[in-house]
Amino acid sequence: MFEGIKKALTRRRLGPPIVVISGLPRSGTSMMMNMLKGGGLDLGIDEIRKADEDNPKGYFELEQVKDLDKGDKDPGWLRAYRGKGVKIISFLIPHLPSDNYYKIVFMRRELDEVMASQAKMLTRRDEEDKRGDDEKMKRNYSVHLKKVNFEMRESMHIDHLYVDYKEVVKDPRAQAEAIASFLDMNLDPAKMAAAVDAKLYRNRS
Amino acid sequence: MFGGIKIDRELYAKIKKFADQEGYSSVDEFVAHALEKEIALFEEAESEEDIKKKLQGLGYIS
Repeated sequence: MFEGIKKALTRRRLGPPIVVISGLPRSGTSMMMNMLKGGGLDLGIDEIRKADEDNPKGYFELEQVKDLDKGDKDPGWLRAYRGKGVKIISFLIPHLPSDNYYKIVFMRRELDEVMASQAKMLTRRDEEDKRGDDEKMKRNYSVHLKKVNFEMRESMHIDHLYVDYKEVVKDPRAQAEAIASFLDMNLDPAKMAAAVDAKLYRNRS
Repeated sequence: MFGGIKIDRELYAKIKKFADQEGYSSVDEFVAHALEKEIALFEEAESEEDIKKKLQGLGYIS
């Protein structure tokens, strides 16, 4: 109970939340950004990374985010996104500065599907696949996700909601309702649900 | 034997149930075994660097 009060006071001090859409790359984070945009949330995006075959509706990214793990760069710019949505992949969650309050919508997808989709993306980007063997990478991701879960659960300045990619594709309206309720920012669940394009669920396990 | 860990009543009940079911001699033995397995997973994975390289390749971090 004391923890709850402490957390509530911390959040109050930090002002409106930054809505963070997170997860492993290829777990549905762009789809979620598109849903939130449809629902009426202002997004922090810069359009530097353009839509392509891997993400036909766009990446919804902010280049500055990609430097969050570089300790030498001041992450104070994030404050400008209070009350807005920003895509920040799971790897960078431990680097979120604690002087903001974050509501994280964390996408979950089967690791085999994530890895298959990443492998295709690497091929298209003409990048060497640096993953090592699949089983090892799967273990790495699995450990990584546990660490991030711990970070989100234990941090005073973070609230989180897990959203299953498959469930969104299967029943967008129900998931949109749950997400809108979690964020509590007057989003329109019907418009959020309408932004889901099931045809883009291409790597199925 | 060293140290003591606080866990909530509900989790303890679950642990006790599965420890009995799986034939562990005590809740302590089951918990120690589960934690050893979990820690081994963490130790085994040289995760951060591998993940970082992959994400750089995918263009998600710089």
